[in-house]
Amino acid sequence: MPLSIVYYAKEFFRGEWARKFLAAKTAPLVTPTYFRNYPELTGKTCTHHLFCMMACPAPGAIDVVRTPEGWMPRIHVGHCIRCGLCVEACPNGVLRSGRILESMFYDNTKLSFSFRIDVDTERCMGCGNCAVACPVNKLIDSQMSHGGRASTDDLLLKVNEGKCQVLHVEKCTGCKTCEHHCPNEAIHVARLLEAVHAPEDEL
Amino acid sequence: MRIEDVVCSFCGCLCDDLVVEVEGTRVINVENGCTLANEKFMGDHRLEAPIRRSGGKWEKVSYEEAIAETAGILLDADRPLLYGWSGTYGEAQTIGVHLAEVLGAVIDNTSTVCHGPSIMAIQEVGHPGCTLGQVKNRADVVVYWGANPVDAHPRHMSRYTTYCDGFFVKNAFRERKVVVVDVRETESSQVADEFVKVNPGGDYAVLSALRAIVRGKRDIIPPDVEGVSREQLFRVADMCIAAKFGAFFFGVGLTMAPGKNKNIRNAIELTEELNRHTKFTISPMRGHWNVYGSNEVFTWITGYPFAVDFARGIAFYNPGETTSVDILRRGECDACLVVASDPGAHFPRACAEHLARIPTVQIDPHVNVTTHLSRIQIPVAVAGIDAEGTAYRMDGVPIRTRKLFQGRYPDDLEVLEKIYAIVKEAKG
Repeated sequence: MPLSIVYYAKEFFRGEWARKFLAAKTAPLVTPTYFRNYPELTGKTCTHHLFCMMACPAPGAIDVVRTPEGWMPRIHVGHCIRCGLCVEACPNGVLRSGRILESMFYDNTKLSFSFRIDVDTERCMGCGNCAVACPVNKLIDSQMSHGGRASTDDLLLKVNEGKCQVLHVEKCTGCKTCEHHCPNEAIHVARLLEAVHAPEDEL
Repeated sequence: MRIEDVVCSFCGCLCDDLVVEVEGTRVINVENGCTLANEKFMGDHRLEAPIRRSGGKWEKVSYEEAIAETAGILLDADRPLLYGWSGTYGEAQTIGVHLAEVLGAVIDNTSTVCHGPSIMAIQEVGHPGCTLGQVKNRADVVVYWGANPVDAHPRHMSRYTTYCDGFFVKNAFRERKVVVVDVRETESSQVADEFVKVNPGGDYAVLSALRAIVRGKRDIIPPDVEGVSREQLFRVADMCIAAKFGAFFFGVGLTMAPGKNKNIRNAIELTEELNRHTKFTISPMRGHWNVYGSNEVFTWITGYPFAVDFARGIAFYNPGETTSVDILRRGECDACLVVASDPGAHFPRACAEHLARIPTVQIDPHVNVTTHLSRIQIPVAVAGIDAEGTAYRMDGVPIRTRKLFQGRYPDDLEVLEKIYAIVKEAKG
């Protein structure tokens, strides 16, 4: 024991060690330019498409909430895995993380969402829950959300010949309200996310 | 030809917003209607002409012959039964009641095997009900008990309750809470906020427990009431008490479960208890499109809603004695006229066997199970398609069904009036 104390004392009171300890020269701690942190807001207006939420692979990492200033995405840092898909999926550039937005601009790429609705006519009872609950239908024809009377063919969904019919799939926003409220599991919405090389004006 | 605002004559919802396309005497397209409505309008399997059983085979007969023979069968009988009526319109039902009176017959409608117990409970304790429009515009809690509207009344949820935006409920299913109580998971329980699974036959106990909770007696509730946990009962009761306007709908799962009319009485009394805290209403989910109408018509003419016996010369009503199933099971009646319903498919076997033994006449547009028990079948026009008349929706709102085209069949009213005229003349 006394030997080891002597050993430590000799080691620490060396002039060379003390000089290194007090005046060490290490590289400065600077965040590299390619570092991708949690997404942050760019200040652009959120249009509430929820594509960020749909693209996010980490459950509970992002949601879009209504604030007094309008709709706003909210990142939950404990859940976020910093993959940056939300930044790429946002059609309005509301989010920023690392150099994702810049490289999307220079590479002329974007992530594009499209939706497909499948109705299983064997299971569908034509109850109209989907068409009445559909928020897109509600905007097109308020009679639809007030009891299921379709008065125009501009609707996304309507009940025809006793079955749910998809009239304008291009109007679907992928919210899956229909799918969640179908009692027969007869309607399914597929969210197709693909990376596209887009024309410049679309970015 | 495109006809708007057509009334669907299938279930008690009586949806009146269908758009139907007609070509000649055929319906070629139905919009807005559910699968059941579509089949009703598009189905093309009608019986061609009146038929009569003769030596083990069916033979076609003329309407006059069939009507005269039907009147003869009824006149010869000592205790005729006139059953059905829920699938036809009020005007025809009226003639049916008059016919029963002249014959001294028993007249009964399909409530006898569905919501008869509900009516008996309502006779005991009243009916705190409302129209479906009130539910649509106000209800923020909807309870379905022993009912599976997705299968039996497909548009009930989207047209009147859960999914439909109302005047005071702008955001429909996001603002409404749906509770489904049943003995098993159903399609409707899939879209419920709270599914309460009750042991078969346990409804009465669960209703009583809920009444006790609403009365503030939480401490007496055991941990488990007929398969339902105390916590879930508290949750459902709190949800109902916190409602601004609650609507309770019950189906045959409650009326025909052990306890029958006492279940309904308990449910009505639970509604009454809830009305100490908030507004709550209760309504039966009526099946046939005009079964409510048959109760109305019977009541305003005879004073009783179903199972009316004219054998004494005056109207007499005693469920259990004058109800069709009991009369048939005892082998009491000696002739039966079935109008617009299918007892062969729904009655117990012993009753169906008796129907096959006695001369049974059916007035119905389609071949069904009762056809196989009948002696004569007279096809008629379908109300709401090629005949018009008044029907009552499940909430008691009268709606006039429309005639979409002139078909080649006589309607119920015409056939029944002819039978009535013959019987009336014979009876003097």
